[in-house]
This record gives sequence, C-alpha cells and structure tokens, in this order.
Amino acid sequence: MVADLRPLAAVLVSAVAIVLIVASHRRPNLREGWSVLAALAKFGIIVSMLPAVMDGTVFRWSLAESTGIQFLAGIDFALRADPLGIFFALLASFLWIFTSFYATGYMRGLDEHSQTRFFASFAASLSAAVGIAFAANLVTIFVFYELLSLVTYPLVAHNEDNEARIAGRKYLTYTFFGGGVFLLAGTVLIYWLTSLVSSGPTLAFEAGGIEALATAAQAEPVYAQAAFFLLIAGFGVKAALMPLHSWLADAMVAPTPVSGLLHAVAVVKSGAFGIARVILEVFGPGLIRDLPLDVPGIGEVGLNIPVAIVAAFTLTAASIIAMRKDHLKRRLAYSTTAQLSYIVLGLSMLHPYAMVGALFHIPAHAFAKLTLFFCAGSIHVETHTDYISEMAGIGKRMPLTMAAFTVGAAGMAGLPPVAGFVSKFYMLIGAGYMGGEYWLFAGALLLSAVLNVAYFWPVVYTAFFESEDRHDAKPLLEFPRGGVLRSYGGTDSDDDHVAADGGDPTDRAETTDATDAESADEEEFEYAVDKYPSDHTTADGADATSHSADARASETGDHADDDDAPGHDDHGDAVDAVDHHGDHDDHLTGGPPADGWQRRSPFAESTWLMLAPIAVIATGAIVLGIGPDYAVFLELATRIVEGVFGMPFEELGGVPLDELVTEVND
Amino acid sequence: MIDLLTSHYTYVLLFVLLGLGIYMVIASENLVKKLIGVNLFQTAIFLFFISMAYIEGGSAPIVPHEGVPGEVMVASPLPQVIVLTAIVVGIALTAVGLALIIRIYAEYGTLREDTLREVRADE
Amino acid sequence: MSSIDLLLPLLIAVPIITATLPIALGLRYDRTGWSVAALTTTGLLAGALALASVVYTDGPVSHTLGGYPIEYGIQLVADEFSTLITLLVTTVATGVLAYTRRGGPRGNTFYTAYLLLVAGLLGISLTGDVFNLFVFLEITSIATYALVASGDGPEAAVASLQYLILGTVAASMYLIGVAFVFMATGTLNMIELADAIPAAERPVLIRAGFAFIVVGFAVKVAQWPLHTWQPSAYQRAPDGVTPLIAALVSTASAYAFGRVIVTVFGVDYLAAMPNAASIVVTVGCVSVLAGTILAVIQTEVKRMLAYSSVSQFGLVIAAYGVVIAGSSETALIGAIVHLVGHGLLKAGLFLAAAVVATSYGARTVDEYAGLARERPFVAGSMAVLLLVLVGVPPGVGFVGKWYIALGAVQSELWPVAAVIFLSTMLTLAYAARLLEKMYFTPPLSVGSADAPGSIATDGGTADADDGFAGTSTHGNATPDAVSIGMIAIVVGFALAAVALGFAGGTFADLLEPFITEVFN
Repeated sequence: MVADLRPLAAVLVSAVAIVLIVASHRRPNLREGWSVLAALAKFGIIVSMLPAVMDGTVFRWSLAESTGIQFLAGIDFALRADPLGIFFALLASFLWIFTSFYATGYMRGLDEHSQTRFFASFAASLSAAVGIAFAANLVTIFVFYELLSLVTYPLVAHNEDNEARIAGRKYLTYTFFGGGVFLLAGTVLIYWLTSLVSSGPTLAFEAGGIEALATAAQAEPVYAQAAFFLLIAGFGVKAALMPLHSWLADAMVAPTPVSGLLHAVAVVKSGAFGIARVILEVFGPGLIRDLPLDVPGIGEVGLNIPVAIVAAFTLTAASIIAMRKDHLKRRLAYSTTAQLSYIVLGLSMLHPYAMVGALFHIPAHAFAKLTLFFCAGSIHVETHTDYISEMAGIGKRMPLTMAAFTVGAAGMAGLPPVAGFVSKFYMLIGAGYMGGEYWLFAGALLLSAVLNVAYFWPVVYTAFFESEDRHDAKPLLEFPRGGVLRSYGGTDSDDDHVAADGGDPTDRAETTDATDAESADEEEFEYAVDKYPSDHTTADGADATSHSADARASETGDHADDDDAPGHDDHGDAVDAVDHHGDHDDHLTGGPPADGWQRRSPFAESTWLMLAPIAVIATGAIVLGIGPDYAVFLELATRIVEGVFGMPFEELGGVPLDELVTEVND
Repeated sequence: MIDLLTSHYTYVLLFVLLGLGIYMVIASENLVKKLIGVNLFQTAIFLFFISMAYIEGGSAPIVPHEGVPGEVMVASPLPQVIVLTAIVVGIALTAVGLALIIRIYAEYGTLREDTLREVRADE
Repeated sequence: MSSIDLLLPLLIAVPIITATLPIALGLRYDRTGWSVAALTTTGLLAGALALASVVYTDGPVSHTLGGYPIEYGIQLVADEFSTLITLLVTTVATGVLAYTRRGGPRGNTFYTAYLLLVAGLLGISLTGDVFNLFVFLEITSIATYALVASGDGPEAAVASLQYLILGTVAASMYLIGVAFVFMATGTLNMIELADAIPAAERPVLIRAGFAFIVVGFAVKVAQWPLHTWQPSAYQRAPDGVTPLIAALVSTASAYAFGRVIVTVFGVDYLAAMPNAASIVVTVGCVSVLAGTILAVIQTEVKRMLAYSSVSQFGLVIAAYGVVIAGSSETALIGAIVHLVGHGLLKAGLFLAAAVVATSYGARTVDEYAGLARERPFVAGSMAVLLLVLVGVPPGVGFVGKWYIALGAVQSELWPVAAVIFLSTMLTLAYAARLLEKMYFTPPLSVGSADAPGSIATDGGTADADDGFAGTSTHGNATPDAVSIGMIAIVVGFALAAVALGFAGGTFADLLEPFITEVFN
C-alpha cells in the first residue's frame, strides 16, 4: 500500500475540466479541446499506475492521512488503485478519449442546444465513474455513486421536452432508490455488523472479503444476508437487473454519446463493478458459500443462487424483448440489459473461471456496445433514421458504419474473433466446473447467444442485403406477442387471407382494395403490378408518401386485433405497418429519401469526428478478441481473481471449488 | 373522592380552568374570546404553582427586620417568582395578540372566525 | 477563566440593549436599524467564536447570574452542544442581514424585533434553568409573532395570530410540565434536576411532567399533527424574515427539547420510563412521512419548504427517540449535526426563494420554470442546497442522515431505520420537482403585463421583462432589486453546506466530551 496522489488526480482531472469547459462556453473548439485534453490526461495518469499495479503495488490516497479531516467518525474518504479499480478506470478513461471526439461530431452535426452543459456534465460523469473505480471503501463508493446519478441526470433530460423530463424523473427515481435507499441501508448494516467484532468497524474493500464481516456474519447470519441482498439490489439498479431495469430503455432519449459511453459503459458498468466489489471484496466467495439461505421445501440454497437466477432471467427476458424493438437504440438498450446480466451471472457463479469471464466481459461488452451505439448515433445524425424498419439498404449510404455495426454485433453474440467470445468461453467453462444445477446457467448463456444473433443479424442483413424497395416482412416487430391468431388456425374467413405462396390475384385484390380505400391517396395505377402489389413490395418512389402516412397511422393504431380485420391497413405483412409498441415516434423524417439511399464511400459517409472513433473502437473490439492478454485486460482480470483466491491462476483450474473457498478463508 | 375534592380542591379547580381555557380557544368564534381563553389557560397554571407552593402556616419569604426567635416556616420564594414572571410573559403575549386582532379587524372588519375564513377565501 | 464566562450573559444582554437603539436613534436619524443590527450581530458572532474556542478546548463554561447560589439562582451554561447552536444562531442572524439590507422589511421597529429574536434564541441556547428556558422561549416567540406579522397585508396578521394562540398554548404546556417536575423535585436548575429526578419520591409527577413537555415541544418544533401553524407563518412572513425564523426558531426549540431529554431527564431514566421512547420515535417518524407527502402536493415554494421543515425536524425527533430507546451515541451525534445542518440549509433555501421572489415575483413552483437561465448562481445554489437536503453526499444532510441511520441500525430499531432510508426518496420527490422546473423546463410566456410600470424601492430601473417573468408580481419585482450581497450570501450558504459535508468526523470529535457525559 503506497500513498500516492495519482488516484485523486485521476478523479479530479475532469472535475477541473468542468470549470474550464464552462469558462470557455463561447469558444466551442477550445471547449471541446478541454474535454479531449482531460480525457488524455486522465488516461495518462491511470496508465502510469498500471505497471506497478500489475506487479502488486496498491496506490492509496486518503483524506484523513493527507489533511487530517475524517469524513465520518471512523470512516475515511479514501481512493485506492488496485487491480479491479484500475481495470474499470482504464476502460472508462480510454473510451472517453474517443467519445469526446464522437460527441463533438454528434452535437455539431445535430446543432444541439446547451452543449456546454452537456460537455461539463460529461466530464463530471467521468470524474464520478473513476471515483467509483478507485473507491477504497463502501462509503466512498456510495458518495461517487450518488454523484454519478446526479451528474448524468442533466444528460438524460438534455432535450428538455416532455419525454426527456419524464425519462429524467424515472431515471432519478430508480437510481436514487437504488443508491440512496438500498445501498445506504446495506452500507450501514455492514458498518454495524463489523462493529460488533473486535477488529473494529470497517468498510474498506479487501480482496477476498472483509475479514471482520466474515467473523460477524457467523454471529448474525440473517443480517449479513440482508446486507448482501441490499447491496446487490442497490448496485443492481444501475446494472439494470430485472425488475429494476426499466429506466435504461427510457434513458435512451438522451443524445447518443450519452447512451453510448454512459449507459453502456460508465453508469451501467459501475453498477456491475459495484456488484463485483461486493461479491469479491466485501463478502468474498468464501463467506457467500458459508451463508446459505434456508428455503423451505428445497433445503439450503447458496446465497449466490438467487442473484444468478435473477441474472439468468434478465438476460433471457431482455433478449426476447429486444427482438421486438424497432427503435434501434431501444433494442441496444435491452441488449445492454441482457449483456450486463452476463457479468452479474458470471460473478455470482463464484468459480474463478466464471469470474474471469465476467470481468473480461466488462471491456468486451464495452467496446462492442460502444461501437454499436456510435453507429446508431451516426446513422441518426446523417440520415435521421432511428427505426430498423426504415434502415433497409442503408449499407449503401453508410458502409463503414454498418461494417463496424457488424463487428459490434458479432461481439455481442460471442463470435470469435471479436472479444465477446473470450468472456463467454470462460464463463461457460466456469459453469461447467461448478456442475450440478449450474448447467442451467450455461444453458441460459448459450440460449442468449442465439437470441443475440436473432436480434442483431436482422439489422445487418437489412442494411446490407436488402434495399429500400425490396425488403422482407418483419413479423417479430409487427405482430403482437405470440403471433397473429390466424397463424394458429383461426376462423375460415381468416384462412382466405393467408396465402404463403403469394396467393391468387383475387385474394390480393380484396385486401388491397380495402386498404387502398383507407389509405390517404387514391392513385390511379397503370399496371396491375402497381395496383395489386405483392407481399414484400413496399416503399418505392411513388408510394413513399403513402408509406409514411401508413406508418404514421399505424403508430398510434392498435394492432392487437389485426387478425380478424381484413380491411385493416397493414398491407398484409408489409413492414411499413410496424407498430412501434409505444416507442415514441418523434422523427417523422426518418427513412430513405425519395430516390433511395445515396451510395457513399466509407470515408465520405460522415464526419471524421464520428468515423474515426467508430473505426478505432471496432478495431479495439477485435484486438481484444484476438489478443486479450496482450491488450492488458485479461491479465488484469486474472490478477484480480488471483488476489481473491490467493493462488496463481494456473492452479485455480485444478482445485475444486470447496477447497478454493476455504483457501480464501485462510 | 370527596376527600380528594376537599383537600386538593385547588388542583381540581386547576384542571377545570385548563379545560375552560382550552374550550374557549377552540370553540369561541370571536377572536378576543379566544385570547381570553388563552389567558384563562395561563392563569390556571399560575394557580397550579401557587397551590403547590402553599404551606399551611408559612410566612412570607422576607427577611425580618430583627432576628427571629426559633424556627420560622417560610414559604419558598421560588414559585412566587415564577408566577410573577409568568404573569409578565402572559401580559406581553396578550398585548401582542390584541395588537394583531386590532390589525385584523382594521383589515377585514370582523372579529368572527367563520366570517374571517370566508372573507379570506374570497381574496 | 473569569472573563470568558462573562461572555455568556453578554451574549444575551447585548442584543436586548441594542434592540432599543433603533427606536431611540430613530427619533433623530432615519434608517439606523440595519447598521445597529449589523454591528450587533457581527459582535455576537465574534463572541460566539471566542466562546467556541474555549469550550471546545477546555470544556463547558458556566456563569451564575448575580452570583446567587444555583438552588434559586439562574445559571447559564455553554457546553459543546449549546455552543454549536450559538454559532448557528449568530451566523445565520448575520447572514440574513445581507439580504434584508435591500430586500427585507424596512424600518427601525423591524430591526428591534430582529435583535430581540436573536437575544431570545441565544437565551434558549445558553440557559441552564428550565423556567428560564420558558421565559426565553416566550421572548423568542413574541419576537417571532411580531416579525411574521410585519409582512404586507392582513394575511400575515392572521398567520401570526394563529401562531400566537398555538404557540402560547404550547409554551403553557411546557410550563405545566415544569410545574410538575418542580413539584416533585423542588429545583429548576438543569444540572441539579439531573440528580434530583431519578431520586424523586413521586415518579408519577415526573412522568406527567415529561408528557406535557413533549407536547409543548412538539408544537414548537412543528411536528405532525401539531404543525399547522408553520406553513402559513413561513409563507406569509416577509421574505427576509422567513430564512431567519425557519433556520433558527424551530431549531432552538428542538435544541431545548434535546437538552431536556439528555441533560434534565437523562437517557437512562427515560429509557426506563414506559412509552417515552416509543412516543417520541413515533411522532418523529410520522412527521417525516407526513411532512414529505404534504410538501409534494404544494404549489407555493415557501409553503413546500415549510412542510419540508416538518419532515426534517421529524428526523431529528426520531433520532432523539432512538437515543432514548437504544442509548445510542451515534443517533445523538446525528441529531445534533442534522439540527445544525438543516438550519444552514433552510436559511440558504429561503434566502434563495426570497431573491427569486424579489427579482421576478415568482412564488409558485410553476413560476420557477427556466430559472436557471436567468439566475444561474441562485438557481445553482438552490440546486446544491436541495440536493444536500435530500442527502446526496458529500453534504451536511448526508452526514446527519448517516449518523441517525447508523444509530437506528445499531439499536436494531428497524422501522425507524427504514423510515430514515426512505426519507431520501421522499425528499427527492419535492426537491427534484423544483430542480426539474428550474433547469429543464422552458420559461413561462415572456413579458408580464405590468413589468415596465413597477417601481423599485431603491429607485432602480424597471427592466424585469427580459425573457423571464412570473405571471404575477408582488409589488416591486425587478431584477435590479437584488444586490450582489444577496446572491453572495445564498452561494455562501450552499458552499458551507457542502464543506460541512466533509466535517462528519470533526463534528463527532467536537461533541465527544458531551456525548461521554450524557451516556454515563
């Protein structure tokens, strides 16, 4: 433990930048320059500590030691750069460098208001995120956790319209409930429990678990279990564990750099990071094994099992929900929800391999998801398109972006050589080692990989392999849950309208006559092909207006009863009649222009401010996948797990888990 | 019961006065009467102090001019001081209350609480 | 030291004497009030600091008035708890003057009442005699009634009268309690009572006395359901008066309640008294919940902040209950810290509301829309103060809440702990409403009907129509009516609230001698 100012410096660099950003509000280039400079400085400070931390040194800065001020009686306000902390801080600061360029491009591309407030809040959020990373005890992490909720609120409510305000309210409610109520309650409980033991009240993180807590938990197991669940719930709100996840989808009203860095990397990862701290360094795997729950009827259930079950449920349910989202950012939000539960699941499986997988998933997911969000943002800036159903053929217009999107999607699904594969691999091995009921969790992981493909592949496919005037129907988006009634058989009248091979012209005529009668414009078509369009033909030049009119009409329409309303204006199975299931349709200008997407070269599709970060981060995702230890994160993850279990990583695989955790207790 | 009444009649009277005072505060419509009720309440408390300090056969707590043979039972001066101070406090409160009532009357033209409520609601 | 204990009667006597000066000098000169008040409060602040430097290093200081023995004399005592309150009183009294110079009620009689109020508050903090406490409570109350009634219009008088009637009944209840205790023990001195009460022959009298005292203080500290005087009084009082009374009057009453609990009756005795702890805890917890619920539904900002006071004092009273029920030292530290912290926060918040009302006539939550653009510093300070009130760390609100919650958990009083943790969310409900309106809601329609015609009392130009206007103006609402000093004091309170957030350990250290004395 070496006393060093650098953890504090890393946190404060961007706090200082806030002042500079606000001061230079009249000179945008200078203001953005401060953001970039702060990001580089922060990354530099953290990297300078990296070699020593990898060798085992821990840097510590404490308010009491430097100034003599005790934050609270018996509790110090301290920052500590240990392997787990530097892991998260490195990730956040590295990605911020590129996000600041991207954000500049994004905000200028949309000519957004209140840019100073935006960049200042962004700098503050990164300051708080690094503070969470380097926090040395539960109170310090609580302080920065609450500050993070606070400074990200202006970013969520940035648009200042009604939708943004509602989303902001929801955001504040959820995060303050998680932080101010659950987390504080858990922290107070732990302080009280550790004060019952002679080694004194302590809240400081210790690799492998707080010793005093382990002793106290023998005397008061119920309270220790309650504290565990309170802490997990408190951090779980930010980590979007169900049922505390619904703030995340609504927070997508924020500008995309916010959704990207914060709601895919900093904020939600800080929740996952907090859970990692709780499992690894407050309770420790040993104590968790020693505090089984007594479930009537089933017997003893490990304390980690409920958490693992919630995580497994979240990742499956969120993936299924994501398949039905047409709004790209919301789909990505539900994907984030699911992917974060990977991390929680891996951590709660308690096996070292699963933990390494979970920890490595933090940067793996971060790189891939950030790429995806950056792509979504640049699509929004360049074409104002937010809905997948309008993105057919967009690969022509934005080749680089969609290529990067493919890379990111592959990372999410866990396809080698992208980084997501490595983490999933480790987690599956870990689940295998645990055996028994843990096979269920392995199954959930595999299922979710399939589901990931199911909701990302359509986007890639529709961008590259379809075109604006010829694209397939998307029943997942368009039909109600469970499918249309007539696909189950239904009544006779419905049968007439189901024609899997395209049907007879007379059938077609009936439906389209009725729909044409309802549609806004009565156009005279010269050719029968136009008059009686087939299944998959939708928007093309002349029909562009009716397309958007129908899309608008169907937005507010209720599609629950479209199965027995043959005259209903949904053009059979056409995708332009997608019900956006409550997603707010505020961009009526989305979709391809009248004569289709304009073909652009990868270097001319958007500004370099946005393209360069996209390219770099997508490459980073691949690099992490190909050479994970070379890229430092895997080595750090193994180092962390070694610290928790107290033995070199190579030996960890051979030792059964029960022996491992008793090793920890010793 | 009767015994209690005859020997501690002052305390009984105390609670009767307290009750009367509170009742006047709550139930009177007229603001001045409410203030009188408060006064009555305070007076009851003075009575409480006096009755607890009363000593049968005690003399006033004043140092006599010449020496006194033997022991003299003297009533404690402390409660008397308390009551005097409390009376002064009560006077000050009554004065402020009456000044406020005069102002309310000047502004609203009524001293009745229900009329006051209606007039204020109209504003 | 012989001279330092003279400071105690001086701290009380000087403002009483100088209170006569504005009226006396007013016969000859105009507008002497503010200067007299400013000089006096600054002097008092210096005195309080000097006193603090002695008390926190050497221990409590006491002084017997007139040299009479304490069996029937009056003793003034300054220990660690009372010195903290004295510092709060003098600081806020000095700070609010920065506002009233330009914004507050004018007139020499106003400053007379101001100084009398300060004298009464210092008397409450420094007295060591239970009856003397009653007298100073009433002095404070009378000055408060006069100050509240000094607002424009008849509504202030009605609010003041309601407060007067309730406040007098409350003080009388307290006096009945004192009478019972006196009847049982024969002494009025707090330190003597500490020994005499456990030794009393008739404990039933002590219990009755405590019950009456609790009721009396519940009204004075405005706990539910006896709080009804507070919202109207805070709302109708002039804008310069509300910070003073909101920060100090209920705080001093809560201090007095705490003093009665820990010094006069003693924690052990009250713990043994059946139902004492549960009543205090219940009143506190219910006030926390009721206060926040009532605050959320308010439209008028000052009224909302008044209900917020109800709930914050509920936290303090609940903490007192935890002190009794669990002999919890941490809860006592928490109660004291929260008392001081809340005083600073409410002073800052009401001053900010006053600045906004003076410059834009905005008094309801809806009228605050878009304030951040027009008044960045005031809106920023208000945001900081509201967040510290919610309990966001680092801030003095968090420190108080931490200690109180820790005390509740240590005493294993789980419902109380749950209420304290939930109070964060409940406070957030009304704080976030105001924050959202100030920052993320576009301003109301530009240009109010009467802005060009309004007159500024200091002769300033009337140009209140640049993009932000409340839909109603109360008299002279122009942005120029706000001086730099007014904004500076608001920012100052906000910074102090955050700075004290790091002083959690310092508070515990300063109060430690007091705590050890209380608990053994």
